[in-house]
Amino acid sequence: MSSVKIEFSHLSKQYKDVLAVSDFSAQVISGRVTGFLGPNGAGKSTALRCLLGLVTPTGGSALVNGGPYSSLHDPIKQVGAVLDSRGFHPGLTAKQNLKVMASASGIDFARIDVVLKLVELEDATNKRTKGFSLGMKQRLSLAIAMLGDPEILVLDEPANGLDPFGIVWLREFVTKLAAEGRTILVSSHQLAEMQNTVNDVLIINKGKVVAQGSIDEIRQGKTLEEAFLALTARRSA
Amino acid sequence: MKNLLQSELRKLIYLRSNWLLLLWSGLFAALGTVAPILVFNSESRGMGMGFSGTNTPEGINAVFANAAGGYLFALIMGILIMTNEFRHGTAVGTFLVTPKRSTVLVAKLIAAAIAGLVVQVFSFLIATSAGVITLGFFEPHAPVTSELLWKIFRASVLSGIVLGIVGVGLGALVKNQIAAVTGAVIWTLIVEGLVVAFVESVGKYLPAGAITGLVDLDFGSNDFNFTIENYLSPLMATLVLLGYAALFSLVAVRTTLRRDLD
Repeated sequence: MSSVKIEFSHLSKQYKDVLAVSDFSAQVISGRVTGFLGPNGAGKSTALRCLLGLVTPTGGSALVNGGPYSSLHDPIKQVGAVLDSRGFHPGLTAKQNLKVMASASGIDFARIDVVLKLVELEDATNKRTKGFSLGMKQRLSLAIAMLGDPEILVLDEPANGLDPFGIVWLREFVTKLAAEGRTILVSSHQLAEMQNTVNDVLIINKGKVVAQGSIDEIRQGKTLEEAFLALTARRSA
Repeated sequence: MKNLLQSELRKLIYLRSNWLLLLWSGLFAALGTVAPILVFNSESRGMGMGFSGTNTPEGINAVFANAAGGYLFALIMGILIMTNEFRHGTAVGTFLVTPKRSTVLVAKLIAAAIAGLVVQVFSFLIATSAGVITLGFFEPHAPVTSELLWKIFRASVLSGIVLGIVGVGLGALVKNQIAAVTGAVIWTLIVEGLVVAFVESVGKYLPAGAITGLVDLDFGSNDFNFTIENYLSPLMATLVLLGYAALFSLVAVRTTLRRDLD
């Protein structure tokens, strides 16, 4: 039976002169891949950072499993997140970076080899990450996100800067995780990719929800790109 | 907390730059003991700045007090522990694993105290060894007593712990690694040194002045009119240093708890 895993309720975030997110309410259902779409500066990253407790909302709430992220017990065993291609020290090897994260949350080091294999980085285990390509960095970010074997994944623009091989690899990776029944919230500009990957779509523009529903409800017979442009242009006008 | 502290210590151990910094701290402190021995025993003692030679207890005090002088590196270590998180974006991962930021900060403060302690004990050992070896070339000299070494070791340990903690607070406040480290170096090597030397009434309350009081040794410098009586007692100096540790711990916690991570 499906349940609400992520819930934004009247979420707002004001940065000095900029209202990044405004009265944003939406839900993400368990076991589904939800595409989080919006133009640059729409408020996607801010909303996700509010969800993960990295940014304090000005108003409203963002809940995971019914509570704020900060109240979760062993959060990385419940939620895995990829927010950008940094997040690990360039002077440390892939394995050392993972050991730092694993030891902080009491995760067995045996899991490190499992996640490195999962993201196909076994050959780069002992390489310092400052020599990693962008694709390798994204894979390492995903390995860190998968370290706690979480049921929920939050991915912010995971395809940014990837070459076509990387994009294909990422699509297959997300599809595989979705097939395992995980709940995935993924933001992206790759609309053609999203069309083939997601079950549900959440569109945000200027900090507000523009549309939310299943991919078929949003597309209404058009491509996702056409639907997205029509919905965001209408609101921008 | 145990897991988090282990994680922080792993970061310290894995980073090559930390080992390099430890090495530099030893070399810096060793230079502090070796150079004055050479100057005091040179034919022209114009660089001696009024200090006694190594054939007097005051001269030996002046030489070996510098064995506690590696605290700048403990301060830098503390700064790096905090600013590396922002410079490399690892703060996001750290706070995703442990959303309770106060817990993360406590782990970082403990790790910085341990790192500062290691830096200062290492510096003390290298500097005193280098000093004793160098003195061997300039017999006769006044004895290097165990009481003297104990006073310097005591000051090394406490200053290492406190400056490591202060570094975390400074790093949390400034965030920009280059600015924080540059500011710390300029403050420690230039500003604080001048204030401690020329405005004792204020300088004795600064970290370097408090460490001088904690060392509690008379250097017998006529030119600078230095006398240890003008500095804080070891007990007061300890309290002042612990005060700095408490103040900067508070700064670290307050600034980090409120900050949005964009």
